[in-house]
Amino acid sequence: MNALGFVLTNFWALLVLAFLGLVGMRIVWRLRKYGATRRELRHVLRRSPFYFVVLVFCFFAAAPFLIMFLHTFKTDGDLYRRPQPFVYRQEPTLEHLDALFNNTAYLDFIRNSVLVGVAVVIITLLLSLPAAYALARLTGRWGERAGILMFLVYLVPPTLLFIPMFRIVVLLGLKDSPLSLIVVYPSFTVPFSMWLLQGFFKAVPPELEEAALVDGYNRVEAFLRVVLPLSLPGIISTVVFTFTLTLHEFIYGLVFIADTSQRTLSVGVPTELILGDVYFWQPLLAAALIIAIPVGLAYNLFLDSLVQGFTMGAVKG
Amino acid sequence: MSVVQISGLKKYFDAVHAVDGVDLSIQQGEFLVILGPSGCGKTTLMRMIAGLEKPTAGSIHIDGADVTELPPRKRGVSMVFQSYALYPHMNVYNNIAFPLKAQRREKKFDKATMRGKVENIAKLLEIDELLDRRPRQLSGGQRQRVAIARAMVTQPAVLLLDEPLSNLDAKLRANARDELKDFQRSSNITAVFVTHDQIEAMGLGDRIVVMEKGKIQQIGTPQRIYDDPANEFVATFLGSPSMNILRAQGHRFGFRPEHFLPKTLHDNPANSVSFHYFVKRVEYLGSDRLVYGYVGGHENELTLAKVPSNVRVSLDIEGEYEFAVHHDNIKYFDEASGERVEAQVAGAAWR
Ligand SMILES: Nc1ncnc2c1ncn2[C@@H]1O[C@H](COP(=O)(O)OP(=O)(O)OP(=O)(O)O)[C@@H](O)[C@H]1O
Ligand SMILES: [Mg+2]
Repeated sequence: MNALGFVLTNFWALLVLAFLGLVGMRIVWRLRKYGATRRELRHVLRRSPFYFVVLVFCFFAAAPFLIMFLHTFKTDGDLYRRPQPFVYRQEPTLEHLDALFNNTAYLDFIRNSVLVGVAVVIITLLLSLPAAYALARLTGRWGERAGILMFLVYLVPPTLLFIPMFRIVVLLGLKDSPLSLIVVYPSFTVPFSMWLLQGFFKAVPPELEEAALVDGYNRVEAFLRVVLPLSLPGIISTVVFTFTLTLHEFIYGLVFIADTSQRTLSVGVPTELILGDVYFWQPLLAAALIIAIPVGLAYNLFLDSLVQGFTMGAVKG
Repeated sequence: MSVVQISGLKKYFDAVHAVDGVDLSIQQGEFLVILGPSGCGKTTLMRMIAGLEKPTAGSIHIDGADVTELPPRKRGVSMVFQSYALYPHMNVYNNIAFPLKAQRREKKFDKATMRGKVENIAKLLEIDELLDRRPRQLSGGQRQRVAIARAMVTQPAVLLLDEPLSNLDAKLRANARDELKDFQRSSNITAVFVTHDQIEAMGLGDRIVVMEKGKIQQIGTPQRIYDDPANEFVATFLGSPSMNILRAQGHRFGFRPEHFLPKTLHDNPANSVSFHYFVKRVEYLGSDRLVYGYVGGHENELTLAKVPSNVRVSLDIEGEYEFAVHHDNIKYFDEASGERVEAQVAGAAWR
C-alpha cells in the first residue's frame, strides 16, 4: 500500500519526471546516432515544446481514466472535502474496491454482460455475414435500397421500442433473464454490423470469387474460403463494435430485468451504487474503470481495422 | 474432334447486345484466339464458356455434354483472369493447390500426390522457387505464371485466358507469348485466348476468331484472315498500318500499304494495277519507309505505302510517282454491307 500511496500522492511530480525522461531519452538516442554535436542537442531542445504538447494531449485523453483510478482509493473524507481530484490528502484505501467485489453483485454483472455480449456477437455474425454479403453483391438498384432500408431500422431508438419489445419478452417468458437481451439486442446490432461488413465485402474483387468458382467450389465455399479470410479486419471490427454496443445498452437492460443478480453491467452498476441521491463514487468509478480497460485495450489492438471499417463505410457505403 | 461446341449464343445486358449470336466449334488441342476491339464481347463470350455468365439464348457443349445450365465447377474448364485473381491470403503453393483441394473431395488422392502435381507444374513453369511466397511478393510475370499453373494443375478440358499478357511490359510480353505457345504445344491442351492485340493473335493462334459488336466476323488461320479477309472490318482491323480503303463506283476497294510499291518493282506490269501517287510525307522507320500521300482521283483519301528500306528509290515530298499493286492484293468490298466481293462483281475495270 505504501508504494501505491507514494505513486499516487506524488503524481504531479511523476508527470514532470516523465516529460524530462522523454526529452532525456531523445537526447541520448540522438547522441548515439549522430555523435555529440551541439547542433543535435539544440535540435532536441527546440523540439521539446512538441513533446510537452504531446504529453498534455495524452494527459487530456487519459484524464478521465486517471481521475477514476485516483478516486477509487480515496477515503470519503478526502473525496468530499473541497474536491481536489489529483491529490491525496489522506492515506489511500482499498476498502471501496473490497466493497465493490464483496458487497455488490458486480461479478454477476460482469458474468451476465459477457454472456449476453458473446451470445449477441455470435448471433449477429451468423445473421449479418450472409446478409452483408448479399447486399454487397446485389449491386442493382434494389440491393442498395434494401441496404438503406435495413439501416433505417437501426436509427429507430430503443426509447420508442422498449415497450413493444417488453411485451414480446414477456410473451416469450424471458422476463428477468439475460436471455431476453440476447433475443432483443440483435435488433440493432445486426443492421449496424451488416452495414459495416458490407463495405469490407465490396472491397473484395468479385474476380477472386469467380476464380474460386472456376477452381471447383460452389458459392458458399467460395465465400468461406476466399471472401471471409480477406474480410477478417471487418469481422474483427464487427465483433468489437457489437460487443461494446451490448455493453453500454441501458434501457432494454433496465426494463426487461428487475432481478439484481440477473442484470448486466450497464444497468446493475448504476442501480446498485446509486441509491436515491446518494452516489457511492469510489466503487462506481472503480466499476466503470475495470470494464473500460479491456475495452480500451481491444480498441487499441484493432485500431487499424476499426478505422478501416469506418472509412470504408463512408466511401463505399 | 471438337471439345467446345457453341451455337446461337447470345448475351444481352438490357439494351447492350454484348454477344449476339455466336456459333463456334473449338477443336481438341488447338490454340484459338478471340480477337476484337475493346467492348466487342470477347470477355462476355469467354465468361459464358466458363459458366460465370448465364447466356440469354443459345447453348454450349463441352466434350459432347450440354453444360449451358451447369455451374463453372462442373464444366471442366479453367480460366486465367486478366488481373490473374490470385488469392492474396494464400502462398503460391496453396494458390496452385486450391483447385486440387476441391477435386480431392471427389477423386480421392493423398496429400503427397497433390504436392507432386503442384511441384510438377511449378517446375514446368519455372516457379518452383516461389512456392512459399505470397502473391504480392511476386513480379507481374511471375504472377501470370502462377495463374497459369493454377489453371493447368487439374488438366482441364479447356483453358480460358482473358488477356493474360496485357499487364506485362513489352519485353516480358514477347517472352511470355513464346513460352505460352510452347507450353500449350507440349501439353496439348485446348486453349482459348482473348486479346485485342493483333500481333499477339497472329503469333499465338492456330485459328483466329475476329469479333466485332458481339458477332463473329471471320474465323480462320492467321494467314487466311490477313490475306483473305471476309469483310472490310476484318481487312482494316488487321495489319499495321491498316489497309488503304478507296471509294469507287458502287463499291470500295483496298490494298495493304506493304503491297503498294513503286511500279518498277513489279516484275510483270500486266498483273498489276498502277496509280499516280502524290507523296506528302515520308517517315523513316528503320526497316521501312512509311509514305503518306494520295492517289490520283482520290485526293481526299489518305493512302499509305510501306516501302522496305532496301528499295533504293528516292521518294521526295510533293513528288509524283508511279506506284502499283498486284491484282491479287486488291480486295473489293460491297459499298453497303462491307462484305468481300469478287473483282468482277465489283465491276472493277482497270486500265
Ligand atoms: N455486367 C455487365 N452489365 C452491363 N453491360 C455489360 C456487362 N458486362 C459487359 N457489358 C457490356 O458488354 C459489352 C461487351 O463487354 P466485354 O467485356 O465482353 O468486352 P471485351 O470485348 O472483353 O472488351 P475489352 O477488350 O475492353 O475487355 C460492352 O459494351 C460492355 O459495356
Ligand atoms: Mg475483356
